[in-house]
Amino acid sequence: MIKSRVGFFLFLAVLMASPCAFAMSGRDVYEKVQEVRERGLDRKTEATMVLYDRGGGKRTRTLTEYGKNASPEAYKVLVVFNSPADLKGVGFLIHAHTFADRDLWAYFPEYKRVRRIPTASQDDSFFGSDFSYDDFSGPPNLNDYTYKILREETFDGKPCYVVEVKPKIRRKYTSYIAWVAKNLWVHTRIEYYQDKELYRSGAFRDIRKIDGIPTPFKIEMENHKTRHRTVLTVGNIRYRTSFPNELFSQRALERGGK
Amino acid sequence: MKKALVVTMLLAVCASTGFAEDFLSVSGRLNLRGVIPLNNNSATEYPSLLGRVKIDTTPPTWKFHLWLEGGWDGSVDLPAHDHSVLKTWDEVYQSTTPFLEFKELYGAYSTDILEIRAGVQRFSWGRLDEYPVNDLLNPWDYTQFLRKSLEDRKIGVPSLSARVSKGDWNVEAVWVPILVPYRLPLPTERWAGSTEITALADQPGVEVLTREPDLPARNLKNSSVGVRLQNTGPVEWGITLFHGYDPRPVFKATTLVVTPESGKLVVDPGIVPDFHKMSSFGLDAAAVKGDWSFRAEAAYAVGRYFNTQRELWGYPSDITPGRYDLNPNEHKSDTIEYGLGVDYRLFEDCLLTLQAQQTVILNRPETLYDRKFETLFWANLKNGFLNQKVETNLNLAYNPEHGDTMAKANAWYVFTDSWKAGVTAVAFWGPSQSLFGRYSKNDQIEAEVIFSW
Repeated sequence: MIKSRVGFFLFLAVLMASPCAFAMSGRDVYEKVQEVRERGLDRKTEATMVLYDRGGGKRTRTLTEYGKNASPEAYKVLVVFNSPADLKGVGFLIHAHTFADRDLWAYFPEYKRVRRIPTASQDDSFFGSDFSYDDFSGPPNLNDYTYKILREETFDGKPCYVVEVKPKIRRKYTSYIAWVAKNLWVHTRIEYYQDKELYRSGAFRDIRKIDGIPTPFKIEMENHKTRHRTVLTVGNIRYRTSFPNELFSQRALERGGK
Repeated sequence: MKKALVVTMLLAVCASTGFAEDFLSVSGRLNLRGVIPLNNNSATEYPSLLGRVKIDTTPPTWKFHLWLEGGWDGSVDLPAHDHSVLKTWDEVYQSTTPFLEFKELYGAYSTDILEIRAGVQRFSWGRLDEYPVNDLLNPWDYTQFLRKSLEDRKIGVPSLSARVSKGDWNVEAVWVPILVPYRLPLPTERWAGSTEITALADQPGVEVLTREPDLPARNLKNSSVGVRLQNTGPVEWGITLFHGYDPRPVFKATTLVVTPESGKLVVDPGIVPDFHKMSSFGLDAAAVKGDWSFRAEAAYAVGRYFNTQRELWGYPSDITPGRYDLNPNEHKSDTIEYGLGVDYRLFEDCLLTLQAQQTVILNRPETLYDRKFETLFWANLKNGFLNQKVETNLNLAYNPEHGDTMAKANAWYVFTDSWKAGVTAVAFWGPSQSLFGRYSKNDQIEAEVIFSW
């Protein structure tokens, strides 16, 4: 009897220590996250990015982002800067044929030419900020990553799954750890690692439900190597838009989305 | 033009009051620049204070766009007092400071698939960064040649354009009803380069006259047209057709006249800018492969004109009073031009751009300075530091046929959203008739402060 009880508790302990201890797998969590992201593809966002350098200097950029669910393909995104004057009219266009296959273009009014850019730059700084180009793209291809739930904990008052995500393809980071809010299925915190070293982290705050879609209105991203940080504040967001395909053309990119 | 200026000022006042904030978008910049020449024998350039205002109406269907530039241009040697402040479309030599220029001024009507624009426009056709071979609709301002970027060199032309976009297809047609001539500096100005005229102007006791050309009659026959078809796919490609005036300068030699006058020699060099019609058929393409972004373009041009070597123009070795008939110095030939450019991201915020292009003069006589094959190699290394607070650019250009080279390096520091400052150094080497060698006295360091809003 005693033996069987010990056996039961040992079995329970092993079960709790293994990934199966969680009701969901890491992949399950990200399928939920992906579902929320896909529901939010059709949108228009007005946002302000404030860049803070370690010397206390501050630069501000305002931008408009247009998104579209491009079914049967994946999605289309157009980002246009409205200020400062140096960046006004600069634009960035993505056509994602699938979540893994994207075409990227940039437009600089100074050169009056649309330029194709390789996807290799997806992890580079987005116009001097601590966000990457990828942060402004649509949902990723889930099959390009492996997922492992590390633990459950509360962040910013929200119970979260803490998931380690590792890319199978070459990226600037070797892994990231994300705090995914249970029941909301959005990130509340993210940490990017190069091997064991933390180089970039972000916090997603002021999460509000707009049209049933949980949306962080304030995202703070910090580069731990440069001590530079960027705060992105959403001024206005509208979901369930149905922009025409013409808005995601090179012509619209040149016209600043107008 | 004066009416346009008044309308512009009214719009600027409306915008500045905030009255029309939802209707107008206004931006601008002020630029203070000083030049330190590195060659004592070169012409002086005084400090410049230049301004730029851009105004756009925001409603999408009917749109108005303005880009006005102006200010005090320190590269102008002796401002001509008989000129208006506004730069015109009928003169090659416009030594004007202070000046105002409409770089762009047009109205546009747009629907989902169609856009029609009328007014002063600049176009960017083709793919290459420097000398895009299919970019022929706008003439260039050579008054500060090679210190200005390609887009800043372009002169806006009065034109009517229509663009139809449907799916992956784009067709654009442009009509430029009048010839707008390229602009050249006076022989005594800093960017005049090394020419027969500047050689004369450098001699003590010699005054060189510059003569405006007789421009072709402004009628329908002398207008220029261009059509461009473009497809966006995994490989983007375009076809361009152009029939109109060649925007590149060529000179006609007539008669050299040297007249003694009040103890000096007044020289009419007998060389005037010339204008010829040409036709061009071009192809271009762009694609991304791995970490590389490729761009290519080619054009077959019919009826281009080239100047013969200067030694054959018939200038006497000594300038003495008299009239000297000069030799015919132009040669007509078809050309094929092609080029390939690539961008490669070396690491974050560091982009290397390489470009090679070649012009083939199909029936080249031995009298031309240009070789049958003329090649240009360009390399640009752009690097950003400190989250793009600092940006550096290193630019190298080399023409192997004549061994001429240009090296340009600059660095910018962004203080705030509005203020930035930069330093640029540029140097030229090569024979005096070559593209870069003609500016071999123009090595300089330039400092700039920009305030934008």
